[in-house]
Amino acid sequence: MSEGEKTIRKRRHPGRGRGKGRVHPKGRQLDVAAQEDVLALLGDKPRNRDLLIEHLHLIQDSQGCLPAPHMVALADEMRLPLAEVYEVASFYAHFDIVKDDEERPPAVTVRVCDSLTCEMMGAQTLLKDLRTKYDGAVRVVPAPCMGRCDCPPVAEVGHAHVTNATVASVDAAVSGGDTSPTIPDYRGFDAYCADGGYALLRSCLDGGKTVEDILAALDDSGLRGLGGAGFPTGRKWQLVRAEPKPRYMTINADEGEPGTFKDRHYLETDPHRFLEGMLIGVWAVEAERAYIYLRDEYPQIRKLLQIEMPKLVAAGLAKEDSIELRRGAGAYICGEESAMIESIEGKRGLPRHRPPYVAQVGLFDRPTLVNNVETLFWIRDIVEKGATWFGDQGRNGGKGLRSYSVSGRVAEPGVKLAPAGVTVQELIDEFCGGMADGHTFKAYLPGGASGGILPASKGDLPLEFGKLESEGCFVGSHAVVILSDKDDMGDVARNLMRFFEDESCGQCTPCRVGTEKAVALMSDRDWDVPLLEELGRAMADASICGLGQAAANPLFSVLKHFREEVV
Amino acid sequence: MPKLTIDGEEIEVPDGLSVLQACELAGVEIPRFCYHERLSIAGNCRMCLVEVKPGPPKPQASCALPAGEGMEVSTNSPMVRKARHGVMEFLLINHPLDCPICDQGGECDLQDQAMAFGHDGSRFAENKRAVGDKYMGPLINTIMTRCIHCTRCVRFSTEVGGVEDMGMVNRGEHAEITTLGKAVSSEMSGNVIDLCPVGALTSKPYSFVARPWELRKTETIDVLDAVGANIRVDARGNEVLRVLPRLNEDVNEEWITDKTRFACDGLRRQRLDRPYVRNAEGKLAPAEWDDAFAAIAKRVKGLDGGKIAALAGDLCDVESMFALKALMGALGSPNLDCRQDGAKLDPTVRASYLFNTGIAGVEEADACLIIGSNPRWEAPLVNARLRKRWLQGSFPVGVVGPRHDLTYSHEYLGAGADTLRDIADGSHAFASVLKNAERPMLILGMGALARPDGAAVLAAARKIAEDTGMVGDGWNGFSVLHTAAARVGGLEIGFVPGAGGLDTNGILDASASGAVDVVYLLGADEVDTKKLGNAFVIYQGHHGDAGAHVADVILPGAAYTEKSGTYVNTEGRVQQGQLAAFPPGDAREDWTILRALSAALDCTLPFDDVAALRKQIREAFPRFVRLDDPEPAAWGEFGMAGTMDSTPFGSPIANFHMTDPISRASETMAKCTQEFLNNQNEATGTDG
Repeated sequence: MSEGEKTIRKRRHPGRGRGKGRVHPKGRQLDVAAQEDVLALLGDKPRNRDLLIEHLHLIQDSQGCLPAPHMVALADEMRLPLAEVYEVASFYAHFDIVKDDEERPPAVTVRVCDSLTCEMMGAQTLLKDLRTKYDGAVRVVPAPCMGRCDCPPVAEVGHAHVTNATVASVDAAVSGGDTSPTIPDYRGFDAYCADGGYALLRSCLDGGKTVEDILAALDDSGLRGLGGAGFPTGRKWQLVRAEPKPRYMTINADEGEPGTFKDRHYLETDPHRFLEGMLIGVWAVEAERAYIYLRDEYPQIRKLLQIEMPKLVAAGLAKEDSIELRRGAGAYICGEESAMIESIEGKRGLPRHRPPYVAQVGLFDRPTLVNNVETLFWIRDIVEKGATWFGDQGRNGGKGLRSYSVSGRVAEPGVKLAPAGVTVQELIDEFCGGMADGHTFKAYLPGGASGGILPASKGDLPLEFGKLESEGCFVGSHAVVILSDKDDMGDVARNLMRFFEDESCGQCTPCRVGTEKAVALMSDRDWDVPLLEELGRAMADASICGLGQAAANPLFSVLKHFREEVV
Repeated sequence: MPKLTIDGEEIEVPDGLSVLQACELAGVEIPRFCYHERLSIAGNCRMCLVEVKPGPPKPQASCALPAGEGMEVSTNSPMVRKARHGVMEFLLINHPLDCPICDQGGECDLQDQAMAFGHDGSRFAENKRAVGDKYMGPLINTIMTRCIHCTRCVRFSTEVGGVEDMGMVNRGEHAEITTLGKAVSSEMSGNVIDLCPVGALTSKPYSFVARPWELRKTETIDVLDAVGANIRVDARGNEVLRVLPRLNEDVNEEWITDKTRFACDGLRRQRLDRPYVRNAEGKLAPAEWDDAFAAIAKRVKGLDGGKIAALAGDLCDVESMFALKALMGALGSPNLDCRQDGAKLDPTVRASYLFNTGIAGVEEADACLIIGSNPRWEAPLVNARLRKRWLQGSFPVGVVGPRHDLTYSHEYLGAGADTLRDIADGSHAFASVLKNAERPMLILGMGALARPDGAAVLAAARKIAEDTGMVGDGWNGFSVLHTAAARVGGLEIGFVPGAGGLDTNGILDASASGAVDVVYLLGADEVDTKKLGNAFVIYQGHHGDAGAHVADVILPGAAYTEKSGTYVNTEGRVQQGQLAAFPPGDAREDWTILRALSAALDCTLPFDDVAALRKQIREAFPRFVRLDDPEPAAWGEFGMAGTMDSTPFGSPIANFHMTDPISRASETMAKCTQEFLNNQNEATGTDG
């Protein structure tokens, strides 16, 4: 026994009446050094409650983690209960809370995407090899879809993404030391304006166009919400306009559905087309302010928007402080509109109950217009080229254009702008250069992880809202993942279910417990089909939001179309 | 008023109800875990599913669904039953099913509902999730593996308690309820134990003590503050094991304070279980009742009434005070008082000492001035009402007196009489806030009245009430917040100095100077006993506390759980307590002791049983006929204009957890004192 351990600490008898107690109350104490750090980081930024996640990011970025003393200092500085700061910080995957007795994570973190497409292309091997290679010197963790499914597998070193990653290319990025994101080539403000950009917005602001003109164009074009739900955009704008002021607008750029990367594509190539659509939306619903909620997996777009957004104010297109960029922190559920609103308010992304709908009671309890990036991206073209230009496109009963994020076993994956209602077979053959070499088309995911799975024999169904529901599937955000004869359907369903397990917010019982149990049951060689079916049904029926309701879709699809592979 | 059909029966329900509430009205019980009528709607347990037409062809959570015109609700269709079975199975997948060693066993929502919706065996063989237990202070025991994440506790502490110590961290299957190692700092934290639908949060002092079916349950009234919370006392044999709340919308809703709930272990310690008489050596020696009475008779018989005095303590029932008053009358003494703290309350005008708005009436007020009171400690349940009202918005609160965190935002106006004077003469800005309010109220605490200039403060408060329109038709915003359960009862029966008699301070001074020879302390422990000097002190009470220490004769009485007594709360609400256990040893119900003593003093009191005693009380004071129905008091002249001292108003309570002989004897309350008060002392330097 060492010297130190022999000392017996004297404690006062607890019943000594009015005696002096412990020097400190139980619970965490304010650490002066951490307080100085936090004060320096926050500077003169506002301490509003809705900025909690932004402020947590500041600490995470500077410290490489969220040390417990810094959390105490932040809670103190923002006048928030510590429990609330912990609730929020522990909810998001990109925050690493480090308790007093824990070691800080290594300086560099490599996240390897293990969502479906990346896993099909060897993410698990990459993950294993990287872990062996670094043996703890670099933190290597699996992460959900990074929205780059067209170049799998994907790894993220710090905030720098490595596509078509190999151990060598990841190691080059790690040893290179630059972990900041690279801004891609995009059409800048001047180029966009030279091309006639912002003329429409200006004419809206000048009174050249009326709100009714725009709404009529939207209605005629049949533009629907392209985030996944497909709600008619013109009608949504009208609903929000009918609510009392002040109103807000939020832009859902939290494209988390595995397989979806169209919003990234448009933001990376032509951000101003989206921004113009957004500002028209702000003008049309007379919103006080617009919040762009951008997922943390797209740091290059954050950088890009931080450069471009001030130009709008400088050009007089947007009012000072009328657009705010908010950063997600690694939570799929925040793609659900009410969860996103909670997150913008600086809270955990727990979906809200409807009614009331967010158009009535949304951000900060005010009427709120929520639109997806791509939806807004098309507004300028629809108005300028005429509603019929957009509306007249379409096949097999579809109306308009759709951006399909195609990934998996095709020769040329990527964002494919195609007529709405195109079938998967047409998509593969006409837009993707056929199947990849040596692969035979076997099945496909029409709408990302939650849209279910269909066999090749159903390859002639139009990929459009409302056309796949009879098959128990939906097209959602138009993320199409092509599977081939080389893919094990059990593995596919397990991968998707594991994703839902990781991303369940934990609010409601069926989803919280069901996804976890489903993964456990699906890990057996032979699935307990009746039990899984019952479990999936209870999840679909009883969950609060779409995550839990759709989580069992891939399970049902595999049981329906590929049962022989799992029993 | 939407009309809807529930299980085939049409019902019209008020606007704004949820489907679950509509079902309740229709007499259909809906199982639930997370829903609680006094908390916000979380809708997360998914147990309350019903089938609603028109609507999507799947069950919907009835707690979060507004009842709408023309809805057809089925609560027992095959779809609903299947969904509920599914949810129940989910809840039980990770629940440890350790009912045999769980304190919640026998009164567990999960157990009960599993009987209705559970399977007889589990279909899942995987390991269950295990969660580390959390420290939540000396009152709440946690076994977090049992938690089903309904978040009732988080919502209670945040919404009702007003302390945001609890939260749910992590997400998905890793979600956990925690306080991050901090004790829940609400004075009402124990209610989360009742709210927890499973055995995740249980009572620490009561752990592994008893099963609910072993307990004899007695519905009675709490006396540890002046609110008169309705409680249920659970006893096994002659031992009180726990105290739980009862529902009374007008008083405590369904909450009780931690002191009410957890001080009951003080009923087992420091008890006076036999009479004592101070012997020739000056030591208290055990005695028989007859010896004790003889010792008293020796001193009292033949003594001039003016040299005898009586003080009633804070926990006394009306019966014993009435009996003592009658005895003092028979002995010819006008020196009696029930205001141990010397509060300058005016017994002649009822409205001057009552909480006239009523506790539930707080919710109707639209502005409030708190004078010399810390309601959070003096009456946490009144404070909870204030917070409830504040949460509804447009409720300015001003505070004159000690500065405290009241769990709702308030404007701190000043420390004492100077500010009060400004408000009274209308020069203070808050006076116009009160004037502009439709139903303003003021809460006047003992911190402002229990001081030499109390009568002047009372007059100033009356002026504020009158000038700002607090008193009018159907509304009286003048509310005195008492801290002693016996106080209003004592005032109602006139346990105050008779003509030429001495009040508390007078009695103490007279004892010190020798002008009073005999002092009868009926459970009076809060007076400065040093001042009693050489007087012959008779202490009648249940705990060996301050009063018993200086007594020459000790007569062992009954604590509040051991007698059937009448109490009047701060609103003037008459409530009847019941005997839950017998007094220990030779101790007796207090009125019987006084009746027996009166015989020994040759002035036998004219009642032989409690019915006769109560009949006399009711005849003398007819308002005691009205149980649980406070009689509104007429406004009048009271208080005495005079100069107010500018010393800041104090708070009568320095330690919420120890205010009376019972809580001072409680180990649990000692732990709380250590946890909450002593720590705070060091850390922030607030007095206490």
